[in-house]
Amino acid sequence: MAEAAITTYGLSKRYQKARHFALRDLELNIKPGEIYGFLGPNGAGKTTTIRLLMNFIVPTRGQARILGLDTLTQSVQVKDKVGYLAGEVELYPKMNGRQLLAYLSDLRPPPISGYVNVLCRRFKVELNQRISSLSRGNRQKLGIVQAFMNHPEVLILDEPTAGLDPLMQEEFFDLVRETKERGATIFLSSHNLTEVQKVCDRVGIIRAGRLIKEQDIGDIVASSVQVFNIAFAKPVPEAQLRTIAGLKLILNSQHHATIKVRGDLRPLFRVLAKHQVRALDRQESDLEEEFLKFYRGQS
Amino acid sequence: MWAVLHWTFWQRRWSTLWWCTGVSSFIILSLSFYASFRDQAVQLNEVLSRLPNAAHALISDTTDFLTPEGFLSARLFYLLLPLLLSILAIGLGSSLIAKEEDRGTLEVLLSRPVSRVKLLAGKALAGLIIVLAVSLVSLITAVVVCRLVKLEVAFDRIILATLLSTLLALVFGVIAFAVAAHGRARAASVGIATLFGIASYLISSLDEVVEVLRFPAKLLPYHYYRPGEVLVGNFNWRFVTILVSVIAVLILFSFLSFRQRDLND
Repeated sequence: MAEAAITTYGLSKRYQKARHFALRDLELNIKPGEIYGFLGPNGAGKTTTIRLLMNFIVPTRGQARILGLDTLTQSVQVKDKVGYLAGEVELYPKMNGRQLLAYLSDLRPPPISGYVNVLCRRFKVELNQRISSLSRGNRQKLGIVQAFMNHPEVLILDEPTAGLDPLMQEEFFDLVRETKERGATIFLSSHNLTEVQKVCDRVGIIRAGRLIKEQDIGDIVASSVQVFNIAFAKPVPEAQLRTIAGLKLILNSQHHATIKVRGDLRPLFRVLAKHQVRALDRQESDLEEEFLKFYRGQS
Repeated sequence: MWAVLHWTFWQRRWSTLWWCTGVSSFIILSLSFYASFRDQAVQLNEVLSRLPNAAHALISDTTDFLTPEGFLSARLFYLLLPLLLSILAIGLGSSLIAKEEDRGTLEVLLSRPVSRVKLLAGKALAGLIIVLAVSLVSLITAVVVCRLVKLEVAFDRIILATLLSTLLALVFGVIAFAVAAHGRARAASVGIATLFGIASYLISSLDEVVEVLRFPAKLLPYHYYRPGEVLVGNFNWRFVTILVSVIAVLILFSFLSFRQRDLND
């Protein structure tokens, strides 16, 4: 069995003068080639975890390993294999993008010449403009380029799509998928559930410094509530629909209903097959409600 | 480490140039009046003799202001040059690490395969070379102006006095650097180093006049800074050793502090 890409053993952090642990006994085991979404509300411990993995802060107890290397004692070797994007991308304001990337390339030369330019073109990065005059989105694009330009084996990304417009978000998700295809592991923290749903294989949910649930994204989607807006040619077959277990029916008009159903969709479609359906619109699977339950502590 | 060094220089290339220009201008302004001082030596001596001892002590470490050595010490080496170099060194010491940490760019650097020790070494070396570069320009300017205004002091003594000034400034710069490396904010590192510098100057200057200050003065770096003595040929290597040792200890402390501490968020 291949060695895990990221593992943590009882990783905990209590900041100086803090009464409570920001992160407590985190146990992670992320497989090579996996995209792992780390979800939680603000202040849950996502950034603390990432800063521990990057050895920016020292654990109070526990240990983390990336590609088998200890993040504390073998930090330099770890960073030779890791790409990192901070939640708030902070770059040298007086430099332009070209100078910044040259500096970072001096610290870690990219293995494939020309790849930096490919990424810059792809994300339409402003290379000749001073960083201080760039918008947040443009700074974020520069941050993405510097994180990916070394073809890292592991990527640690903190809220990576913050500030990106929808087109650039899609470009970013494509890049993440391509990066996974070449075998890299991606650890992605977010509180944006839709983006996690788009790219992640598995998610971990953190609340108040504790990992409270880990699940494959497919399982979550399968067990989540799905919402359909249906227009019938004749009156809504209310009685038949109400016989379906786990179904919630909202009558919008005599011919139009919103249906929320959890799990297996076959009973719903059996009923629909017996009626003339004029239009059926499936709303994007709403993971938000699922996660909010965890966030609120209702799990 | 070399990349950090190279890019730190690159970032500070204009400010270093401005510092060289500014310090040179101060030196030119300060020494170019020597001819007037020399011509009015008798009158000035009368005025200076009326000053209290404490005022003398704050101006220079020599009572003979109007000899070439006394003039050079009072006008340049006792206060002006160490003050300017200390401002530069404290500014560098506080900003090389703390500014990057405050701004969040330290994480960008440390996300690369560079150890904290090498990063700190690159930054410290960059700071040291910038201070030495400005000192060298100061030395050249001082020597040239001395020749032009016929201020006859031996070249090697001016070199040694500049070296001592540079070492004193480095002590204060390294204090700021150590405070920043320990994790304190930039303002704190500037404040602590400046306070220490001013206290050191005042206490050491007045220790001959105020007896109670004699012992604490010995614990402060300014006590080992005697440019007037150096310029008349009494260079004390023991003082250099003390200043270098203090710098070495503070740098070691910086490395130990920074090696494994939490970066500020």
